Amino acid sequence: MTAATLPRVPGNRDPRVSRGRRVAGSPALRLIVKRVLMAIPIIIGVTILASWVLSLIPGNAAQQLLGPQATPEDIALLEEQLGLNESGVSRYLDWLGGAVTGDLGQSVVSGQEVSDLLAERLPVSGELVGLAFVVSLLVALPVALFAAHRPNGVFDRISMVISTVGLSVANYVLALILVLIFAVQLGWLPAIGYTPLSEGLWANLEGMILPSAAIGIPLFCFYTRFLRGDLVDQMQQEEYVTTARAKGVGSWQVLLRHAFRNSSFGLITVVGLNLGALIGGTVIVESIFALPGIGQMLLQAINTRDFIVVQAVVVVFAVVAVVANLIVDLLYVLLDPRIRYGSR
Amino acid sequence: MRRLSKLAPLLAAAMVLAACGSDDDGGGTSEGGGGASAGEPQAGGEMTVLEDTAFTGSWPAGLDPATNTTGGANLPMMQSIYGGLFLLRSDDDGSNAAVEGNQAESGELSEDGTVFTVKLREGIEFSDGTPMDAEAVKLNWERALASPCTCKPTWPLAPDGIAVVDPTTLTLTFTQPYAAVSASFPTSNVNWIASPTALEKQGPDDFKINPVGAGPFKVVSNQLSSELVLEKNETYFEEGQPYLDKLTFQSIGGDQAAYQALQAGQAQAYEGLNTTPLLEQAQDNDQLQVSIQAATSPYVIQLNTKTGPFTDPKAREAIYAATDFEAINEGIFGGRYEVSQGFTAPGGLFYEQEVDGYPEFDPDHAKELVDELGGLTVKLGTISNYVATQINTALQTQWEEAGIDVEIEDYQLSTLIQQFTGGQWQAMLQTAGAWDPASGVGVGFRFGSRSPFSGVSDPELDQLLADAASSIDEDERGDLYQQAAELIASKFYAPFGLAFAPANISVKGVHGPGLTTVIPAALVNSQVIWDEVWMEQ
Amino acid sequence: MAVADTPISVTDHPGLEHGHEEEPRRGKWRQSLGTWIPAGMIALILLACVFGPLVLPEPTGGSVLESNLPALSPGHLLGTDPNGNDILSRLLNGGRASLFIAAAVNVLGLVVGGTLGALSGYVGGAVDTTIMRLLDVLIAFPSLVLTLAVAQALGPSITNTILALAFFSIPAFARVARSAVLRLREMPFMAAAQISGTSTGRILFRHLAPNIAPQLITFGMLGMGIVIIIEGALSFLGLGVPDPAPSWGNMVATGQLSLSATPMLVVWPSLALLITVLSFNLLGENLRSRWSGR
Repeated sequence: MTAATLPRVPGNRDPRVSRGRRVAGSPALRLIVKRVLMAIPIIIGVTILASWVLSLIPGNAAQQLLGPQATPEDIALLEEQLGLNESGVSRYLDWLGGAVTGDLGQSVVSGQEVSDLLAERLPVSGELVGLAFVVSLLVALPVALFAAHRPNGVFDRISMVISTVGLSVANYVLALILVLIFAVQLGWLPAIGYTPLSEGLWANLEGMILPSAAIGIPLFCFYTRFLRGDLVDQMQQEEYVTTARAKGVGSWQVLLRHAFRNSSFGLITVVGLNLGALIGGTVIVESIFALPGIGQMLLQAINTRDFIVVQAVVVVFAVVAVVANLIVDLLYVLLDPRIRYGSR
Repeated sequence: MRRLSKLAPLLAAAMVLAACGSDDDGGGTSEGGGGASAGEPQAGGEMTVLEDTAFTGSWPAGLDPATNTTGGANLPMMQSIYGGLFLLRSDDDGSNAAVEGNQAESGELSEDGTVFTVKLREGIEFSDGTPMDAEAVKLNWERALASPCTCKPTWPLAPDGIAVVDPTTLTLTFTQPYAAVSASFPTSNVNWIASPTALEKQGPDDFKINPVGAGPFKVVSNQLSSELVLEKNETYFEEGQPYLDKLTFQSIGGDQAAYQALQAGQAQAYEGLNTTPLLEQAQDNDQLQVSIQAATSPYVIQLNTKTGPFTDPKAREAIYAATDFEAINEGIFGGRYEVSQGFTAPGGLFYEQEVDGYPEFDPDHAKELVDELGGLTVKLGTISNYVATQINTALQTQWEEAGIDVEIEDYQLSTLIQQFTGGQWQAMLQTAGAWDPASGVGVGFRFGSRSPFSGVSDPELDQLLADAASSIDEDERGDLYQQAAELIASKFYAPFGLAFAPANISVKGVHGPGLTTVIPAALVNSQVIWDEVWMEQ
Repeated sequence: MAVADTPISVTDHPGLEHGHEEEPRRGKWRQSLGTWIPAGMIALILLACVFGPLVLPEPTGGSVLESNLPALSPGHLLGTDPNGNDILSRLLNGGRASLFIAAAVNVLGLVVGGTLGALSGYVGGAVDTTIMRLLDVLIAFPSLVLTLAVAQALGPSITNTILALAFFSIPAFARVARSAVLRLREMPFMAAAQISGTSTGRILFRHLAPNIAPQLITFGMLGMGIVIIIEGALSFLGLGVPDPAPSWGNMVATGQLSLSATPMLVVWPSLALLITVLSFNLLGENLRSRWSGR
């Protein structure tokens, strides 16, 4: 959620800055190595930040589990049973030591292996976010292109209003409205529940359509507005567009072959940056649609102060964010081999 | 969705007559119940039941009775897996409630009230085929009593007080007469007997996830706090039960989402609806049936008499005089609930609607008192949940009209506990009482001198409550509780409010005790008897 | 959460260094209309939120006996909520809170993030790497965890809400500022300033700040709506503006608890939000094209 999602465009990856500088060697490979190395301190930094932030939250698992009527003796007993009496720092170091060797530990509250929990729940959230992301992007592309083809035309205006509406409705409200229309009134799609892929493709997809729409619609609105704005800028300002036009190249051709090609840099930056944060956007949607995903698990874990589980989810989020950025960088290289990386 | 951040909020339970009394249209409580009007139960069918993530729908510690620390909230899961030694049953409208044997054939308290003899039914087996005998029960009780869960009973047990007499008989020996013993079973972890063999074989960690009991259903899959899939236990002791082939509990975020899922046909029942506008809408929906549960714990405004402004009885009296729960009941809840003057509610054992000497709502008198005090500033807190927050907001308005300065606070669980243990709180909106006031955390929790959650320290009140808990004469107990309520009123310790009860909603064609009929809440939430839930085929 | 998916465009829009073609007259007229209409709307909304509450009933403390009145009831144009409070009054008072939070978050982001980003971009080297890697940590950090931690550790209040949100607006502004500075750094006037021995601080504030400000301000305009929506999602999680005081966000979050039964409780604040977001976006976009010299 929140502004983690505000896409950030790292300056050193701005294609316009570095375009034109030539490099030799295999930039893709060097890039991968460099970024992977850089990811390690970032992820460790995230986990340190997380354990500090979590230490600020009052209450512990014992208190949260036992509720408002527990006696101090009961709480002390459960604290002992759950092994909560260690200090935060030593708990973190233990955890880090395990995590480095691939052991994410066990849930404080249920004793389940955290890696099992992730294996169980990641596919649900992954499918949810993946679907929302792919579909919204696929729909946003043609809409933005049509809108940019005639800026301030009827289509552009309509898409502008629709996408602003989409961005002004809170997504939990959107989720409820979608259910009200498509599950309650029309009865086309189920209102809740997750069916694993093993029980059939349609059975699985059927349950995913509404939740991924709830996540995907605002995303679509955003991509549309972003891409349309960038395309219009390109068309109006860039010299090569003027040149192409002067040469008598058709307007669609200019749009597609020149402007879109350049705008795609900005788009993939934005897409890559909010992909990592998107998975955090699943929490409320998962609970409304009763999907057993990672967002639901995170919320539960915070509520029960099950910090081992929270840490694992934090790492997953951070890895997704870092990998998404890496993919973005690679895409730059693919789209424009002249780009040089890592000069700064 | 409701605020997401508490596992065990006090969603007060309850209420009996108001549903029928005040709402003549829309699904009252009696319609479509499990009684004769519904016809003979039919076997078969699969049912999905929704449970709110914020309360019943969270079982983060698993479902082993001895380690499920949220057992008091997870009654539906525990009952369907373990059945229960005793169950609270009542007529369809919630009246004549009594604790009856289930897997236990009987439970008898000795004349002097110190020995409780439990007789188990012959030949009951756990679903893994091992016998559910007295030894198994003893082992389970020992584990349950050692649990930190607030759902363990507060028995005054003598040392080595649990004894096996023969394979189907056990005795509990108490240090003092304890009349509330049978009432303590239905919602506490001693009621749920797990298979010791399976526990041994699987180990405690796996048993939390795949528990084995002798209840109406067996576990197929269990995703903690998300989904519990159960299938019929063919070897359940009750012939022909359970009726359902498959029962799934699904955790969902909030009343609105649950309501829509029922309408869309993805689920057949939802336990614990709190949101009044949705309740009204559900009552007008002819596809749904609504049953408002029988309240046993009324809301109470606890005043901290140990420190702060409420050490002065005049300030407490001003609060009594400034508070009008009838108006809140009318305005926010459509007059659906009863307003209590003591810690009993319509579903409870010793319910008396009126308490002698209970101070009346009198805003002018409140103003006078506030003037005499030279002003009054109050911090009124509650746990963050929909109903409590609404009531607090309304109270703020009423008190400010009487010239009291009020600041209201919604606390998260951990902050609430800090407030109480820190002892500096002033006023708290909470619930008090239980079906039997002596069972569970009961009244002593809010009013006893030694409870950290009490604002009162009064030896006379302590004595009355202790006497009431140990007396084995029902009439005498009722009398003593009434005296305790009168004492609370005369000292202006804590004004009582409406006895709120959540509702269960289900689609037409579903029948079952506690789900479409009313059973009082033994503690916080009512216990549906899942063995007997059936669907018209 | 609600918000994961409502990000803002941060790409730098090439501009400052580009040509300044003369716009045709009609285009200019349209463009200034495009600026003044949304600006006027925003002014109207602000005026209503500031002065409306003076003539309306209090937004809290309504009588439960007047709960859930329909729209157009006497004295209550939009009716009352379940607690008997006037919805119009809550809407305008709530707007005041929401707009204040959104503005504060954006100003904080602009000042702190803008400075960090500009410094990072201008100085480069180790300073740049350190600042950017620290911001990377913030960016990769799941905001939900932070938000819930702030909610549960500090409790809900306007200040804490601003704090939690600024945590995420700062890196975003820093990114924008940095990429803008990187571009400026290669421009002739910068070289001139450097050669003439101007101090770093002076360059930052006298030369860079005025040039990157327009871009940061338009970015902030686009961010206003998003912050307002996120504040609502925070109410959902126990942070945000605490009850019973209204904000658009918490009105939506409370209203949706019984959405199908009381839809208007959600519709009014959503509509207010929509108009506001639309105005800010339009204004932001128009300012962007103006400042980029078109």
